[in-house]
Amino acid sequence: MSDQININVNGSEIRTDSDQLIIEACEDSGIHIPRFCWHKRMDPVGMCRMCLVEIETPRGKALVPSCTTKVSEDLVVDTESEVVKKAQEGVLEFLLINHPLDCPVCDKAGECPLQDQTMAYGPGESRFVEDKRHFEKPIPISEIILLDRERCILCARCTRFSDEISGDPLIEFIQRGNKTQVNTFPDEPFRSYFSGNTVQICPVGALTSTSYRFKARPWDLKKVSSTSNCSSMGCSVELNVSQNKMLRILGEDNEFTNQGWLSDKGRYNFEYLHSEKRILKPVLNNDSTNEISINESMELISNEISVDDNSNISFIVGHNSTNEEYYALNNFVENLNKVNNDQNMNVYLSDDYLYEGFFQNTDSLGKVQDLDSVDTIILWAQDIKDNLPTLYLRIRQAVKNGKKLVIFGHTNTAMKELADSYFGQEILSKNLEFNVEISKIPNFNELINDKNVLAIIGKSSPIQNTNPISNLINYLDKNSNLKILNCFSKGNTFGALQNIDLVKGLNEFINEFDSSKNNIVFTIGSNPVNSSIYSNQIKDKLINANFVVSLDLFKNETTELADIILPTTSFGEKEGTFTNLEMRTLKQNKILPTPGSVLNEWEYWSMMLNKIDIENNYESEFELNLQLCEEYLDKDNVPSFDNLNKPSNLDGVLNSKSINIEIENVEPGTLELLFVNRLYGDSSTQINSPSISMLGAERFIEMNNHTFIKHNLSTYTVNLVQGDSTLQVKIKINNHLPNELIIAPLNRRGFRDIDTTKPYELIEVKNLEELSVN
Amino acid sequence: MSWDNELLERAHKIIELYPQKRSALGPLLYLAQEKDGFISDDSIVEISNLVDITEVQVKSVSSFYSMYKEEQTGTYLLSVCKSISCEINDSRSVINSVKEFTGLENYETDQDKLFTFEEVECIGACGGAPAVQVNYETVEGLTPEKTIEMCEWLKNDKPEIIVADQLQNKFGGTKSFDWAIEDNTGSAYTVPGFQNIGTAKEKDN
Repeated sequence: MSDQININVNGSEIRTDSDQLIIEACEDSGIHIPRFCWHKRMDPVGMCRMCLVEIETPRGKALVPSCTTKVSEDLVVDTESEVVKKAQEGVLEFLLINHPLDCPVCDKAGECPLQDQTMAYGPGESRFVEDKRHFEKPIPISEIILLDRERCILCARCTRFSDEISGDPLIEFIQRGNKTQVNTFPDEPFRSYFSGNTVQICPVGALTSTSYRFKARPWDLKKVSSTSNCSSMGCSVELNVSQNKMLRILGEDNEFTNQGWLSDKGRYNFEYLHSEKRILKPVLNNDSTNEISINESMELISNEISVDDNSNISFIVGHNSTNEEYYALNNFVENLNKVNNDQNMNVYLSDDYLYEGFFQNTDSLGKVQDLDSVDTIILWAQDIKDNLPTLYLRIRQAVKNGKKLVIFGHTNTAMKELADSYFGQEILSKNLEFNVEISKIPNFNELINDKNVLAIIGKSSPIQNTNPISNLINYLDKNSNLKILNCFSKGNTFGALQNIDLVKGLNEFINEFDSSKNNIVFTIGSNPVNSSIYSNQIKDKLINANFVVSLDLFKNETTELADIILPTTSFGEKEGTFTNLEMRTLKQNKILPTPGSVLNEWEYWSMMLNKIDIENNYESEFELNLQLCEEYLDKDNVPSFDNLNKPSNLDGVLNSKSINIEIENVEPGTLELLFVNRLYGDSSTQINSPSISMLGAERFIEMNNHTFIKHNLSTYTVNLVQGDSTLQVKIKINNHLPNELIIAPLNRRGFRDIDTTKPYELIEVKNLEELSVN
Repeated sequence: MSWDNELLERAHKIIELYPQKRSALGPLLYLAQEKDGFISDDSIVEISNLVDITEVQVKSVSSFYSMYKEEQTGTYLLSVCKSISCEINDSRSVINSVKEFTGLENYETDQDKLFTFEEVECIGACGGAPAVQVNYETVEGLTPEKTIEMCEWLKNDKPEIIVADQLQNKFGGTKSFDWAIEDNTGSAYTVPGFQNIGTAKEKDN
């Protein structure tokens, strides 16, 4: 904490931190100073001059921009003097000279800072009679962002965001003076994972998104705060709905998680909610014409469950359910077990990156905020930028503030330039095992010895021996003051871990599947036949199973094999809680009506129990929530709906439960191909959201130059051949990778047929005819 | 790769002069302009790779400064000062004489790609006003007649290297002070002649 000092604003005393800017100090005390360019999460620039205030200086009163002037002891500030008002009028008159005033057709109208501040502080009329500056209206600067340069007031929020915050400065000011405009370089579109944030922070309607353009007027929107399912970061969002359609997701500033920012996937992955392809009624045998009632479906399933005692019931769960739904599933399993001990029941989480993690000591669990207080950040996990994009922004920010970052390869190559040390192929083998003793890694000990260290730790590859990870953690634990952030990236994974008594992985599902028994498999919001490296084996097992029930939103590769598909509710259609990677539980709220005869997952579990005459003791999310809250370790601050709805808890509640994960360590053999998940892929939610569906279409593999030459390649389009399957891919050269290791995206179409443990060939595509076959 | 090895070698030498790569941006843009007569998009891509910033950041700088040309200029870039000292000393008639001789308006290039004419702000030769630059080589104390003479000389002789002192001796009038550049080099392109980045040329070559 910095010192507290007194300043005088408009005649009243204010107590404030000594390192604050005038605009911040005033904001904290409820005095609003108008501004366009200043944003509390970015460095000040003083571009727009809207925040001019008068301060007393030794040489008399002076107008200064309050966003670039720091407070000092006994500073006297006037934010409402005649001089300030005249300055504000002048600034606005200048800003409006070239602004087209096309508010009737502008998406921003109604929530536009320029409109609002012109109303509040503007001169009321213009003296400008000349022609306004004109630009072509709007130009696409990426697949999802449009730019209307006429409306731009040159506040530099978007260009600063892309430079300072997201680190991919693909938009900049071009030209000078009256011709100044924001633009991209020709053929180099604004393809950033975070481009949507610029639309949200644009103080005028210059940047708009394709998905929201002309869809609604802001005053017609119904709004509710919620938590994004996009990653296990649990970003705080505001859902905007009009006429029962989700139209927009905005980032909300949660100090502990996303700090206002969102990835484009978190922001634009919602159109699927209203897709025509959604399943709205229970379907029998994957035949759309064979729709049945919910009652019939429950009848069929309960008959299967109770028919045979010698049965295996497996549940493959995804990561989009709420804590309450996971709890209800766990309750379902418990109750069935009570009735019949012979049945063998297991819950498997559909995430190839799951392993036992480090949960034993709750005191050593790290928090996202530790990024801002530790000395050194150790990162050894899957690609953070693709899988936990807002955590990537937090790490970037921490590095900017002087924290040391140490990355262990071979993923996260995109963050190498941020790192103080990047340990690639000299330290780690292709199999992600240490080539040297940990204590002998060069320049490592001085970064960790007796330092405060936050280790963001997870598997880098779906198949990986996790012993080296444990060894590193042991070493860090001995030599530093260690906090651990377990890095499972998908949605509400931590909610599943907290609320299901025992969680296993997909490999366990395959190993434990016993075809001599009566096998009943439930897949719940998961598509393991498409999204896993074990896809083909899982497919075999599902074909082999006696009865398969899929709870899902869309038909997909897994539901094809289901005897019954039960339609479920999605994000925005259900109320519940969500637990993020630091065990912070946040509220998810309902704002959309449930479509068709769709039910919540917990309602199905409850109905099935009723059908087999087991009494259940809950009738709503609210009751489930109260029950699951009883198991938290800290009884004083449980994440109940009531508690989470308190204004002081809108940022979520930190609390832990015991976690049991049982996953066998798999020896990888020799890794030739390392699978990674990219931000955009072929999930059924994404391909049913038209605005972003094409972003996950490109198929490419990465390798270093050495590998490229070793394979005798000369062109960058090749066929990846393994057994009978051939896949045409583009090659990107990434020289941070080790020799002869190839990186391939698991969540892009076609790659699930590739086996990482088997040999493959790369064959050049020679003629154009071959190129067109795809 | 649009830059040949020789140009790349020069670029690397320039980058080595600075503690940060991106600081070499300015001189590298002059290399690009020396190569094409303007800053081409290909060169921007090349420079962005050389100094590790994005293409649009290079473009942002190159489009900000008016001495980095966005379009192809003629062999001889005639920059006539229109700022206050020259204006007082009748730069208007110098401007008119250039316009008349070349038939060009401001920022235009003739069809033969011989001349580009531009009116510019102060070129720092107020003491010898009115002043003109030919490929950024300054000549002071011009009259409309001498200006036309100079243009004719450029058109007929087509000198490969422009040297300020030679221009001054042939066509100039009052000189503000002795520029005292010992190694009197000139410019062979529409780029200022800087010895340390290799855009300057010896006059006798």
